[in-house]
Parts: sequence; structure tokens; C-alpha cells
Amino acid sequence: MNIIEIKDLRKDYPLGATIVPALRGVDLAVEEGEFMSVIGPSGSGKTTLLNIIGCIDHATAGSVKIAGSEITALDDRAVTDIRLHRIGFIFQTFNLIPVLDVLENIEFPLLLMKRPAAEARRRAEKLAEEVGLSSYVRHRPAELSGGQRQRVAIARALVTAPAIVLADEPTANLDSVTGASILELMREMNAVEKTTFVFSTHDAGVLRYARRIVRIKDGLIEKEPVAA
Amino acid sequence: MKLLLTIAWRNLLRHRGKSLVIGAILFTGAFLMTLGNGVVSGMARGLEKNVIDGFMGDLVIISDAQKSDNVLLNMMGSNIEPITDYKLIRPVLAASPHVQRWLPAGKNMAMLLDENTDAPGFAYLLGVDFAEYRRMFPGNFSVIEGSYPAPGERALLIPTFAREEFYNYYNIWYLPEGGALVKENLKKEALEHLDSLALSTSVVMMGMSGGMNTTSDIRFPVRGIARYGALNQIFGHFCLVDIESYRECLGYFTSADMAAQVTEEEKRLLSLEGGDLDALFGGEELSAGAAPAAAPRAALTERSAPADPADGVYNLVFVRLRPGAAYKPALRDLNAALAAAGARVRAVTWNAASGPIGSMALIIKSALFIFVTLLFSVAVIIIVNTLTMAALERASEIGMMRAVGAQKPFIAGMFLGETAVLSALFGGAGILAGALAVELIPLLEISTKNDMLQLLYGGDIFRPALDVYGVALAALQLAGVTLAAALYPMKVSAAITPLEAVSRD
Repeated sequence: MNIIEIKDLRKDYPLGATIVPALRGVDLAVEEGEFMSVIGPSGSGKTTLLNIIGCIDHATAGSVKIAGSEITALDDRAVTDIRLHRIGFIFQTFNLIPVLDVLENIEFPLLLMKRPAAEARRRAEKLAEEVGLSSYVRHRPAELSGGQRQRVAIARALVTAPAIVLADEPTANLDSVTGASILELMREMNAVEKTTFVFSTHDAGVLRYARRIVRIKDGLIEKEPVAA
Repeated sequence: MKLLLTIAWRNLLRHRGKSLVIGAILFTGAFLMTLGNGVVSGMARGLEKNVIDGFMGDLVIISDAQKSDNVLLNMMGSNIEPITDYKLIRPVLAASPHVQRWLPAGKNMAMLLDENTDAPGFAYLLGVDFAEYRRMFPGNFSVIEGSYPAPGERALLIPTFAREEFYNYYNIWYLPEGGALVKENLKKEALEHLDSLALSTSVVMMGMSGGMNTTSDIRFPVRGIARYGALNQIFGHFCLVDIESYRECLGYFTSADMAAQVTEEEKRLLSLEGGDLDALFGGEELSAGAAPAAAPRAALTERSAPADPADGVYNLVFVRLRPGAAYKPALRDLNAALAAAGARVRAVTWNAASGPIGSMALIIKSALFIFVTLLFSVAVIIIVNTLTMAALERASEIGMMRAVGAQKPFIAGMFLGETAVLSALFGGAGILAGALAVELIPLLEISTKNDMLQLLYGGDIFRPALDVYGVALAALQLAGVTLAAALYPMKVSAAITPLEAVSRD
């Protein structure tokens, strides 16, 4: 079953009087449980593609379906709801809430969903353990290393058991060893939680972790190479 | 809510500098507002107590011909219209369930005359029955030199403030008849020129009625020098004089005039008008002697029935209501009863009758409100600016929250929460500090002899007082400031899109 279905997706950015096309008609289908990488050079449109799939940016034209629901015509409240319940995000710069500790950061989406505090705390503790941060649950982001912060971000992305986790350059701010461990962790979580992972990268070294690779160039998907 | 407040509280701690700046502004505003409310409330209470208990009562009955309700400190030359039908008013007051006691009085200005100078001084005269006055306003007037006049005695009581004013006019220091100079009571300037100090035990005054009646110069023997219990600088303009002397001074009918029995012949002569006067001078009546209409006052009074002071002319009737009586129904019922009795008068509240003094609480409250509004406006601008900057600085964090599913109201609520926590802490502390200051200030017994400050204090001593209403008002204003300060940052923060979480990378 396809968890993501994209047809003729176009995205234009106005730049003064000029229109800059970022996506020129992308067709893509992602099956449930996939561990897929979108690769391409800077400015190729991979971040734009992830943003539109993640409901944080709007398409100029085309169709995007998440778990069978068309998202392009939804209002802000509805797409926010989809982000909360269906999608998990991992950002390049971790983007944790600085005033909350590890557990609080992880349980944050559950509290937005108004889950009982005790249930949220149990789930957050389980995920903290799974990402190897049991000893750091009371630490704030400023007290953690880059790799540890990204682990918190991964746990937060998974805490709501979303259908899809989107990761935009998750290893870009990490050294190669830490980056590799993060990708290992993501692949492990994909296996354990059966969650679909779509991540972007321009690092060729990351490719060996992907089971499926989509190459994007100048706003178009070139070819889908077979995963290593 | 708990999550919102947790984030709000920790953000405030994280940005201590900004929090302290905003908090200090909120503290100052809330403190000044609470203290100001206490000052205004104390002033209103003090004025009410001192004016009602010591000078005017709750209501004042004035003539229907009186244009302005303000009959206390009206400008020079504007006279208080006479009340000629007190005999109709008295039974209405006696029958009213609202009224506890009352005092009819004459009140107008008089010129102070002295043979050594052409420039007159001025004084307010309050013509009363001294015994009735003491019953109406017990304890508000203490004689410090001389004594209270005996019942029926024609005399003048000069307040200490008026005596000093008179000294300023004429360099004369007034003493009670038979009294000795009390150096401790001398004005400082008088004490410095003791050798050349002129003393006097009587005052010549000429009434200023402003009407058609002819006023008279009356020499008043000074019976005593007195001090008002409160607001002596203001009430001290009013010299107390017996009502009959007052009426003579103002050219009003005295009770003796009203009691005069006019013969039929005198009535006939008094009724002659116009051409008929020729007949008077052309006939034998001319040889009958002087016209009775021009008869000296003494000649008339010799043929008078016993005089009832109530027969004469007054200007005001001070009315004290029973404890707990509400002004509105009392005023309504009293005015209806007075109209039904045919009295050409109206009752007004003490606030209206005391003019600017009665409105002083409102005026100062308005001034305070404007001041605090300005202060809070500045506070709002600073807080809006600081919070808006904070929102923009935290765009990436807010964008991330939106990206992981926080709706706009959550983000807006987070900023409202931060402002509310600051307001609750610092503003609450400001209110508490203001309330504490209001409680402590009376212990300092700060007193003044300045007119304006006495009005501000509501008496001689500064006694701010705070009630639940004052605290609630300060809290309400603080809540308003909080909301006003948070609105724009809330809007700005809610407008931050999830894209901020990635586009800033």
C-alpha cells in the first residue's frame, strides 16, 4: 500500500517579478514501511519535496496524498492536525525546545495531542531508552552533544507512532561517525516501529543505508536507482 | 495548560534580563495604581466624612432660584439665593423617614471694613443658631480663645484661618472680647511685629447679597476664635455668626421683622403706590407724623409678637440623613415632599452643593487614571516590543513547534502565558506592595496645612485607604495591560509558519 502518492507536483517560488520553479512535475509513490532517501545536489528541490510531503509548505499544483488523503486543499488547522498525527520530523539542526529536558521534548507532541501525562511520560521513557538516552532524560538540549540531540529528535518524531517520518539532511550537522550511528538508529526504528522513513541528503556516504534511493535534479525525479 | 505554563515560566527564567525589565515596569505600574487607588479612596472617604460630618450634612436644601447647586465655595459676588419659606420646609423634614436632623443657615459673603483703609477684605459668613449648630455638627468646631456665644447672643466666631487672613488684610489681630493675646496662636509675621501689632475685639462687616435688598454694615463683637476639626484651611474661611445678625448684615428680613404687627393704617400707607403718593403728601396725613414704613426697626419690634427665628430668611438647610439611608431615594422623596408642600426649594447632595470640593475625588481620580494610563501605555509599548522581538528570535523554535503539530492558538497561548506569568508575579507583587504602602502611610501621620493638599488628603492627615474595589480595579487594569501587551506578539508568533523550522537552517 502506498503511504505517499504524488502526481505532477509543481512548486514555484516568486522571486521579485521572476518565478523560480523548484519542482516541475514530480510523480512519486512511497510504500508503507519504506526506508527511502531523496538525494540530489543543493537547490535540486529535495527539501521542497519533503516540506510539501510533510505539510509544512504548499504545492503550486499537483496532487499529494498521505495515507489516501489529499492534503493540498486542506486549511492550516487540518494540515497541522495531519502533521501532529501522521508525520514525524527530524530537522537538520535538531530543533529541540531549549527550555525542556529530553523527556519533555520527546513527549511534547503527545501533550499536544492531549494524551494523559502519565501515558505520554511512559511512551517518552520507552523511546528515550530505545534511542540510548536513558541516562540523559533530565538533560536539556544545551547539555547534550549534536548526536544526542538528534537522537532526541528521532525519539520525538516517533513518539506519536506516525505513518511517516521525514528527515531533512539529518546528518548534515554531525561528524561522520555520529551521522552513521544516527542512520543506523533510524534504520533500526524503521525495522522496529514499521514506520516509513523518507530522508534527504546530498552525502553519497549516506546512500548505503537507504533501501530505496530517489534522485532529484532541477525539480524533477531523474531515475530511481535500486537501493544497495 | 500545564505545558504552556511550564514553557512560559522556563522561558522567562531563560531570558532573565528581559523578564526583569518587563517585570519592573509591571511592578511599578501596579504599585502606583494600587497606591493611587488607595489615595483616591482615602481622599473620597476623608472628604465625605469631614464634609458630611463637619460642615454640610448629606443633603443641602437650596432655593429654586439658585442657579448653581454649588453653594459652598462659589466665586466672589455670586450670592446664594434666600429661602423665605423655611416654615414650609421644617414640617417636611420632620416628617421624612430619611432625615435624622437638620440645620437652617444663612450663607453668603461679607466685606470686611476698616476705617483705616479703603481696600476691603472678604469673609464667608455662616449665620446659624449656635446651639443648633453644635447639635448638628458635634465636635467639629473647637473654641481655642474666648467662648461659645450664649443662647440668643449676637456674636461672631472667627476661625483661626480667617483671623490670619484678616491680619493679612489689615494687620489687625482679632481677639475675643475680654480675651488676652495668646502668643502661641499668633501668626508668625504678627509675632515678628509684636510691638506694632494692632488688636481688635470687633469686626465691621457689610453683607454682599448681590440682590435687590440693601445690606448693612454691622459691627460684630468677636466672641471666640475657633478651629474646625478638619479641613480648617478650607472651612476656616467661614465665620460663624448668629442668624439674626447675619440677616441684618445681608439686609434680609429678620424673625423680628416678620413678627412685627402692622396696624391697618400702616398697611394702608404701605399699599400706596404711584399717583396715590401725592394724596399722601397733599392731605392731612402729612401732619400725622413720620410714615410707619420708615419707622426704625426698634419701633416695629416694640409692637412685635415673640420672634420665631424660623420666620426669617435663610440661604441653606443642611440635612443629615439617618444612618444607612440611601441618597437617591431620600433625595427623590424629599424633593417630592418639598414640592407638595409648596416650598420653592430643592434638595441636592453634598457633592453637588460643595462644588469643586465634592468633585475633587473624581478630578484627582481622573488625573490619576490618565497618569497610570500613560504609564501603562508606555509599559505596553515596551512589553509589546520586547515580546515581539522574542517571538522573532524564537522563530525557528516556534516553527518547529508548528511543524510537530502545535496549532496557532497554542503558540499564541504560550506568549500570553509568558506575559500572564510576568504580570501575576511582578504585577501581583506591585499590588501587594501598593496595598502595604497604603496600610503603612497612615502610621506616619503625615499632615498638612496647605489647602490643596488637605483636599488631596481628604482632611488634615494623609490617610490613604484601600478597599476590595480598589484592589480589584488594579488587578483588572493589570489584566488589561497584560492582554494588550500580549496581543501583538501573539499575532506575530501565531503567524510564524512551520517553514521557519527549516528555512532558517
